[in-house]
Amino acid sequence: MSDPVVRIENVSKVYGGDRLRVEVLSDIDLEIEEGGFVALMGPSGSGKTTLLNLIAAVDRPTSGRVVVAGQDTTQLSESELAAWRHRNIGYIFQLYNLIPVLTAYENVELPLTLSRLSSADRRAKVETALEVVGLTDRSDHFPRELSGGQEQRVAIARAIVTDPTVLLADEPTGDLDAASAGSVLRLLERLNDEFEKTIVMVTHDPRAADHAHRFLHLDKGKLWSDPAESPPVAGSGGEG
Amino acid sequence: MRKLVWRNLLRNKRRTLFTVASLTMAVFLLCVLGALLQTFNPEETETSEKRVVVRHAVSLQFELPEAYWSRLETLEHVEAVSPLSWFGGIYKDTRPENFFAQFATDPETLLDVFQGMEIDPTTGEAWLAERRSFIAGRTLAEKHGWQVGDEIFLQGEIYPTDLSLVLRGTFTYPADESQENQIFFHHAYVEEALGNPGTVGTFWLRVDDLASVPLVIEAAEEMFENSEARVKAETEQAFAASFTEMLGNVELLFGAIGFAVVVSVFFITANTMAMAVRERLREISVLKTLGFGRRQILGGVTAESAVIGFLGGVLGVLFALLLVKAAARGLSGMFPLFSAMTLGPDVALLGLAAALGLGALSGFIPGYAMARRSIVEGLRKVG
Repeated sequence: MSDPVVRIENVSKVYGGDRLRVEVLSDIDLEIEEGGFVALMGPSGSGKTTLLNLIAAVDRPTSGRVVVAGQDTTQLSESELAAWRHRNIGYIFQLYNLIPVLTAYENVELPLTLSRLSSADRRAKVETALEVVGLTDRSDHFPRELSGGQEQRVAIARAIVTDPTVLLADEPTGDLDAASAGSVLRLLERLNDEFEKTIVMVTHDPRAADHAHRFLHLDKGKLWSDPAESPPVAGSGGEG
Repeated sequence: MRKLVWRNLLRNKRRTLFTVASLTMAVFLLCVLGALLQTFNPEETETSEKRVVVRHAVSLQFELPEAYWSRLETLEHVEAVSPLSWFGGIYKDTRPENFFAQFATDPETLLDVFQGMEIDPTTGEAWLAERRSFIAGRTLAEKHGWQVGDEIFLQGEIYPTDLSLVLRGTFTYPADESQENQIFFHHAYVEEALGNPGTVGTFWLRVDDLASVPLVIEAAEEMFENSEARVKAETEQAFAASFTEMLGNVELLFGAIGFAVVVSVFFITANTMAMAVRERLREISVLKTLGFGRRQILGGVTAESAVIGFLGGVLGVLFALLLVKAAARGLSGMFPLFSAMTLGPDVALLGLAAALGLGALSGFIPGYAMARRSIVEGLRKVG
């Protein structure tokens, strides 16, 4: 059996100081195999996004170890973390978070400007990523000229253009209509099936979670992997 | 990243324009003040350094006895002495364009003291021969359209006499064209018109070499120490500087204005950049999530404000250059000093460097703070 691509050991995350202490994650253990598609569900404030942020190393745990792609990210400095994220993490946000002054093409190209690729190589990768998400014809459009679903697909292209080890999606369909949401979910499914991308998706929508192969449920800072123990609650809040 | 820097600059065009404009204004003021200071404190030329001015110790308003002339000629290291008295008469009317410097002098010794002055020998002889005649700087003669033989009338303001003078020719002063905005006429003619009071405004001495200048200054002051009219001797540059000193400590005043302008503009620019960066906190956090490091974020924001600074600097220098050129043309008639007014490369470079520094620092401070902010905190920001 191969090593898990994500391994979380005894991770706790506490916000606030002595007077106002909120334990968002409590002693979490989790392993995700390479090529897995995991849906992380739970009510609002349960710590879903916090857990995703810890995997992405944009946040640090209060205690415990987070090992992603063979690297204990809690041991890295800020500058090492930035370089590590660039190599290993593709992050898809609920609100797309495209840079408004850049075109779709330029948004997708942005992470590649950190690498030493030639402009021809960058172009090839950007075009491939836009082709995968089906937006080649929109490459010159600015985000304001795209629909929500198209913006999210550009954001997915941006997340996959560096061929990251793990794709993390935080409520990727939370701001989309049903048709656009379906299109984005099918795209994620394809990335997992065809390109064998490991995906961790935070969602509060059971229909979105249906596209995943594995369900995890977070509640009151605890992680449940068996829905029978703590079944996902339909209609719970979106913010993790 | 370069593309992002450029697009961010154009994101809010009006804000960028106003920020550039405020920096332009600051650099413009700095450069104009610098050019004025340089005009008031001109660099010494080799010949001017060897000239010493002797005047009344109390004030320029008091004249010196004409008899000092021959005594000053006896001083060691002095090669020539010529009297110069500021006549200050009205030509035509009191409008500024008709104002120019008028000096009573000795035609025989003037050119020995002012060796940079060039005059045709025939003109020199004609001027020397006729007591009512005068010579004019070429620039001034051209401005007023004077021809040889033309007669001008000066109404005395300082001296209780009017002068009627005939132009006998022009002179040039290649090393310093500002000197071409004046006229010279016979000291003896003024003396006669005044009833021979036997007085002179100032004496100008040419010293044999630079090292002897302090010795001549000391000797000249010592020579008349116990006289009724004690003298003050000084270099030509010190003499010129004494006029600007009458305005007070100009250097300090200009320095204080320049500093105040720079500091104010820094706060304005820094505040604008801080606002611009704060509005982009979420985007900065996204960039960090994509793998951009603190250094890249800081570099991007600093580069953005440095470009604003550079643009402001270049425009400020250009506008200052235009104003200085216009001032040199427009004011040289009234104030000959201004004909030499230029924007020196050192002042222009200082202005550019100040703008670039101000711009970069204005971006660096908020950029540094934002680069260090937590990604999670930035991503939570709505809007």
